[in-house]
This record gives sequence, structure tokens and C-alpha cells, in this order.
Amino acid sequence: MSYTEKPPELSKEQWMSKLESFHALRSDMDKLIMDYLVTEGFKDAAQKFQEESGLTPRIDLNEMDNRIKIRSAIQNGNIQEATLLVNQLHPELLDNDRYLYFHLQQLHLIELIRDGKVEEALHFAQTQLSESGESDPSILNELERTLALLAFDDPSVSPFADLLNMRHRQKVASELNTAILKCEHQESVMPKLYSLVKLILWAEEELAKAKVKFPRMVDLSTAALDDSK
Amino acid sequence: MVNEEKTPLPRSWSPKDKFNYIGLSNGNLRVHYKGHGKTHKDAASVRATCPIPASCGLYYFEVKIVSKGRDGYMGIGLSAHDVNMNRLPGWDKHSYGYHGDDGHSFCSSGTGLPYGPTFTTGDIIGCGVNLIDNTCFYTKNGHNLGIAFTDLPNNLFPTVGLQTPGEVIDANFGQSPFVFDIEDMMKELRARTKSVIDNFVIPESYGDHQAILHRLVSSYLVHHGYCATAEAFSEGTGQEFEEEISSIKNRQRILKLILAGRMGEAIDLTSRLYPGLLEERQNLHFMLKCRQFIEMVNGSDTEVPPRQIIGHTSVIQSTKPFRNSVNEMNGDNNGSEYLDEEMETEEKNGYVNGLQNGYIQSEPELMKDIGVQYGGVKKLCGGSRPAVERMLDFGRELYNYSQQLFHENGTDESNKKMLQDAFSLLAYSNPWSSPVGWQLDPIQRETVCAQLNSAILESSNLSQKPPLEIAVAHAKELIEIMSRSGLGSCAFANVDDMIKH
Repeated sequence: MSYTEKPPELSKEQWMSKLESFHALRSDMDKLIMDYLVTEGFKDAAQKFQEESGLTPRIDLNEMDNRIKIRSAIQNGNIQEATLLVNQLHPELLDNDRYLYFHLQQLHLIELIRDGKVEEALHFAQTQLSESGESDPSILNELERTLALLAFDDPSVSPFADLLNMRHRQKVASELNTAILKCEHQESVMPKLYSLVKLILWAEEELAKAKVKFPRMVDLSTAALDDSK
Repeated sequence: MVNEEKTPLPRSWSPKDKFNYIGLSNGNLRVHYKGHGKTHKDAASVRATCPIPASCGLYYFEVKIVSKGRDGYMGIGLSAHDVNMNRLPGWDKHSYGYHGDDGHSFCSSGTGLPYGPTFTTGDIIGCGVNLIDNTCFYTKNGHNLGIAFTDLPNNLFPTVGLQTPGEVIDANFGQSPFVFDIEDMMKELRARTKSVIDNFVIPESYGDHQAILHRLVSSYLVHHGYCATAEAFSEGTGQEFEEEISSIKNRQRILKLILAGRMGEAIDLTSRLYPGLLEERQNLHFMLKCRQFIEMVNGSDTEVPPRQIIGHTSVIQSTKPFRNSVNEMNGDNNGSEYLDEEMETEEKNGYVNGLQNGYIQSEPELMKDIGVQYGGVKKLCGGSRPAVERMLDFGRELYNYSQQLFHENGTDESNKKMLQDAFSLLAYSNPWSSPVGWQLDPIQRETVCAQLNSAILESSNLSQKPPLEIAVAHAKELIEIMSRSGLGSCAFANVDDMIKH
């Protein structure tokens, strides 16, 4: 008896046709979406989804209100309001997570710069932020990147423009959302969809390490596979 | 977790793969020594019937020492398929063993290293293989003795070796509960794998993970026509759609009609909103029409909502007009190849029955009977006479369409079967509980829905499957290929478990 280690190699076409013939259960996929909307605090969307899919979310959507308020405050650029809300809801959260607190302050700084309030921005950076920069080199680096925006006439075309992108707000909103959930549930709460994406990349990495050939998913947002051989 | 058809788990000792001083009994689980046992040259081993598949992640078996015999020279462990069986496990290359007389571990060598306690009659020794780390540990009477071997190759067989007369052991390959709590270790490995995956850092080249997730969600919502959700989500994330919202709404209207069983309206709307789409896809068109026929039988595809209770006056008094209709249908279809026979049978038994049960309920006794049997709710075409006539007319039309397709494109087995299945509904007095009654289950609408949806998306150059569903399928294939490549960690990364729990 011999045991071959290598499974037969699949071509991209064979692989693709396997993917296409797979039928995902609608109810499973719907649950995955609902989980994402609820975990990430998209209450409106979760409510609409409940109506349209007939799926009941695993938590009472009204419990989401505080998280929603905080998320939307951040998304609207009202960082101080969000900070206030977090401190009311979980007074210890930002004290215990200085890095997260810095990200909120940084975002406030960014908003000041976006609004062209140069003096206020400088004042805020000097009085509120320089201290945290001294203790942590990575914070200092981020602070420098942010303040560098001031050096450009049009910061939105500077090398640091990513900070001004709405996505940056989303990122901080999500980071804060996760921290609140963690604080409320005493465990890490990651949307299953995020785990799925991570699982794909992890599995691809493991297979690559073992020198197994397979088509990689090069763009996860469109589920596009690698074309090269 | 393990597909035992492809990669069986070792569950007994092999009567073929052993030295001849070994005797097996008790369903190839008990092993006894039957040699002279004078020197180490009389050592004898037996392997299990198959190697440990890596895809199981963690493998464990226990051995009970029934008798230590004369000297208790016993070894428990693992060996590759080509290791000499006239030896104790551990002495040769790709052979590993824990020996009872001295408690030493033997790692492909004639010289052992101090490892654990000795073991003798009455002891239960367990041997576990961790296929993620490729390590092996032993247990004695339920206590873990720690890692004995590292860097193990794949495809090792459970192996046991004996050397002196009177030695007897019993193996437990999961036939009865283990003394050691292996579940705990399983849980630990599962948690470990989960945390490795959750902490996996997405390489920067993939871009911002948030953007990825938002697009996966958004494209899924748009694809399935969850319009209001998609709008709310878009507002929450500031993300644009790839498809116009009006187009999504149109698709959603059609899909909703199908899911409600209102096929006629769905087909009309499709032709109006997407002219040419169905003409170009005749098989799809045919499938939709078959579904319409089924829904007509079901009483869902009616212009007027089905009435709950049908008064006696509106109940058809005689089967005659229907028999005529059937005859007419047959007459029209002279020269049809496969349907005539079908129709005749229907006419003779089923169809008339169907009408009787469904309609000649005006006789009080019958009514009572049927009322009990069928709850008096479900009636052919919702119990309305014009609806039955429309259904029969439509059946004729559908048949003609199938003939047209047959002349243009030749036989299409799946179309033929679809039509036969649909028409067979008429052969039963209660189509809902008949062998072809599955067609009436609303869940069948989902497939029709998905196919039409894909066709519309395809015609508008949008992807036919949402990226989310392709990603799930991709994840499953990756785990599958990991399993076939002997990567043990795949055992603890089940895609379904992740999605469902």
C-alpha cells in the first residue's frame, strides 16, 4: 500500500465550477448578514433586514441604541459627543484602553483639520495629545502623521489623505464598537463574516506553507480568484 | 469531521498486517502473544487496518493490559506501513513506542529514553496523536504523561508489540468510552485554532478589511433584492451600489411574486421589465411556465385570491365538462410521443378521482369524510371552477410550448421530466400528499427564484452569484483540500460550524 501525500491538482476552471455548483442555504447566508449588521451596530439596516428576510435577530435591537448613537456620532464626525457617550455608558472603557482613547482624540484632531480650524487643532494637539505621544512611540508616529496634514494647502491630496477618508471614521467606529461589545460580553465578539474572511486567508496561508497548489482569492470583496497559473 | 469514506479511521487491528506470533480475537481488538519469547528476536507487532488520517486533527486510542505475561515486554505506539513487524514499536525508523517494562520511550531507536512510569496488568495506556503539531503523547490510567515524540511523519498506524508468552492486551479504538478525557483536549485544540484564525492579520495588499466586509454585505443584499436593507446599509456606511436602486426594486418585485406563488404575474412582469430575456432563454421560460402550472394546481396562481370556504353552489356538480376538457386536450395533442399515454391514465384513474375528491363534495357524506381527511382546506386550483378551466387551458398551452421546443431544439430530458412531473399532479386525488406532491412545496419556489434572478443579473452583466456565497464555497474547498493534503488543523476549522454557531 502506498499513500500519496499530494491530492490531485485542480485547475482554476475546475475549482471555479466547484464553487459555482455549490448552493449556499439562503437561511444560513441571511443569518451571516444579520450577525454582521447586529454586531457592527447597523440598527436601521438590521431592522429593515428583519422585515425583508423574516429573520429574527439574536438580540433585542433596542439594546443596540447606545452603540448606534456612538457609531453614528463618530460617522458624523462628532467625536467629542461620542467620547462623552462612551464615558457615560462604560466609564472605565477609555481609561483602560489608552490606544483606543488616542484614536478617538486623533479623529477629533482630524476633524478639526478637515474643518480648517488650524489654531484649535494645534492647541488641542499640544494640550491633550502630546502627553500620550511621549509614552508610546507608535502613538507619536500616528500623531506626527496627523499633524503633517497641516503642512499641506490641500490635505486631501497629501500623502496622509487616507486619514481624511470617511473610511478612517468607519475604522475607528468599528474599533470602538468592538471594544464596547467586548466590555459588555466579556469575550471577543467578531462578526462571523469577518471570521470567514480570516479563515479563507489563514487556510490559503497554511496551504501555501505546505506547498499545495490552489487558486487564491485575490480580491475578497468581489470573490475574484487569481488568474495567473 | 473526517470523511470516513475517503479516509477511514483505524478501528481495529489488521489480521493481515502482523507478525505470525500475534493472535487476534474479540473482533480483532484483543491481541495475545503466541511465540516462544526467548529473545528480542521473538518480538511481534500488529498494526491497525489503516493509517491515522491527518484530517481528524487529534487521534486517540487506549490499550488495556489484560495480562503482562511472563516479562511484560510490551510496547504501544505508532509505525509507518513498511516497518518490520518482527520488532517492538519504537526500535526502527518511522516507528515509535512506549514500553511497559522500563517506562521508556523509543523514538526510531533501539535505545529508549526515560519517559513515564512502567505499566503492567490492569493498567490502561492511551496513545494520542496531535496532527496539528505532529506530536504524540501517552496517558496512564487517565493521566496525561506529556509529549513523548515530536516531528512525526504523516500516515502512521496505531501499533502494539508483545514479546513474552502470556501477554494479552485489549484495544479500544473508540468502541467504548475512554478513561482519559479526550474531549477536553479537543475543545482546547478547537479554541486554539479559532484564536489563530481570529488573530490572523489580513495582509495589507488585500486592502481595508472593513471595505471588504461592507462590499460583501452590500452585494449580497442587492443580489437577493433586499432593497430597503441595502439602502439603510448604504446610508450607514456611505457606500454606493453597483446596480441602480430602481433595477434592484424591479428584481425584488419579480422575486417576491415568485415566492408568493404568483407565477403568471411574475412572468408578465419579467417580460415587461426585461424584454427579450425569456425569449432568449427558452428553457428558463419553460421552467417558469411549468412552475406556473404547478402553482395553478396549488391554487396560488389565481387572479382572485383563493376563497377559504367554497359554498355548495359554486362546487362543480359533474365531472363531465372536465372529462371533455381532458379529451379535448388529448385530441389536440395527436401525435405527441410521450404524453398521450400519460394523459390516458390520468383520465382513467387519477384525474377523475381528483375531481371527485376535490369537487363532488356536494354530497353531504363525502363532504364529511373529506373534511376530516383533508381538513377541507386544500382544493385543486383553490376550488374554483373557472380556475380549473384556466389550468387545463394553460396545460394545453404548456404542452404545445414543449412540442415547439422539442421541434426546435430536440429532446431535452430535464424539460420532459419537468412537464411529466407537473402533469402527474393531476393523477392524484390529493396532489399534496402524492408522490409528486413535493412540487407543491413552497420551498421549490426558491430554486426557480434563484435561476430567474441569476438570468436577470447575467443579462445586466452583474455577477450571477453574490461574492459572499462564492467566498463561502471557496472556504469550504480550501478546508477540503487541506484535509486531503494532510493538514491536521483543518479538523478544527469547520466552515459550517463557524457560520451556524
